[in-house]
Amino acid sequence: MITAERKPLDEIIAMILPFKKVLVVGCASCVGECAAGGEKEVGLLGSALRMDARMTTKELETREMTLERQCVYEFIDRLTGLIDQYDAVLSLACGAGVQAVAEVFPNIPILPALNTSFLGQTKEAGLWLENCRGCGDCRLHLFADICPVTRCAKQIFNGPCGGSQDGKCEVNPETPCAWHLIVTRLEDRNQLDLLEEVYAPADWSKKEGAGPRKIVREDQQN
Amino acid sequence: MNKENLELNVAIFFCQQLDPDQDSNRRVIEKELGPGIKFFPLPCSGRIEPLHFLHAFESGADLVYLITCPVKSCRYQQGNVRAGKRIAFAQNLIREIGLDPERLILINIDPPLPKRIDLLTRELLEGAPVKGHSLLSRL
Ligand code: SF4
Ligand code: SF4
Repeated sequence: MITAERKPLDEIIAMILPFKKVLVVGCASCVGECAAGGEKEVGLLGSALRMDARMTTKELETREMTLERQCVYEFIDRLTGLIDQYDAVLSLACGAGVQAVAEVFPNIPILPALNTSFLGQTKEAGLWLENCRGCGDCRLHLFADICPVTRCAKQIFNGPCGGSQDGKCEVNPETPCAWHLIVTRLEDRNQLDLLEEVYAPADWSKKEGAGPRKIVREDQQN
Repeated sequence: MNKENLELNVAIFFCQQLDPDQDSNRRVIEKELGPGIKFFPLPCSGRIEPLHFLHAFESGADLVYLITCPVKSCRYQQGNVRAGKRIAFAQNLIREIGLDPERLILINIDPPLPKRIDLLTRELLEGAPVKGHSLLSRL
């Protein structure tokens, strides 16, 4: 999923300053899961903004709602008929969600309340870890399903680098060494022979060589 | 009881495991202090959400309390620990909008249980940090 964190409140307050009627819209999918933009966070932000407006004698009317997903037209469509009653939308979605809503309603400012961070997993309650960079050429099967491009600070495909201590990364001793994890798991799986291979560096042209990427699937189209 | 505190709007969230007779006991003090005091019994303090605090302040509370069972005696193990973390989160958020975070107060009561919620409330208001009305309740 995509992870995100709320922007500092003073930045959000400055963003909505020119607007009197603001629709605060969450996204119940990825950013709901990482407790940044779901229904609860929409409620908290709406309440905080209203209180701030009252204390600083600004005029502000808000309405809160949470879409199941802000990056899919079928869900964005729920805003039709409502959005034009507002001066702006404060979106608690990832950057993709904000842009998707803006594309459907190009004449209304859609303000990002979150800073989008990374592709990650929920490791435990309240802990999210980055584990994929969307490189466009997944090779997890060669590395015991542990991504060296993301989880190794040096992004090396032919590790370990030799600097890890007690299974921790020498660059950041709070992080497990990805290569320590890879070797241990390959050993457990009896697949150490995979390390005999010398792997070519990642081909980043598949990720960002040609501007924004797109996926087209005719079988999924109408 | 401290006169100034009696005029404040106070919201009290509390774990109902503290007082098996909370329903009747809280009515005693509600009657005495009128609409300025509002009680919100919770099945466990761990069920509290920061949004509850925010809404209490937004509705004009000057002081908001969360009363939990003694440390290590939560019936659901971690409820009061979790409640402490949620208080801290909400305090940071209200600080960001310029509301004094000390208006949101966590009370881990001392053993033994049970306690009478009306007596506890009296004690709390007696010792409350007198902060006067918050800007929000004055507006
Ligand atoms: S807008 Fe889409 S991608 Fe973004 S957080 Fe919501 S569901 Fe995830
Ligand atoms: S190899 Fe690429 S696609 Fe696979 S997990 Fe790593 S960054 Fe993501």
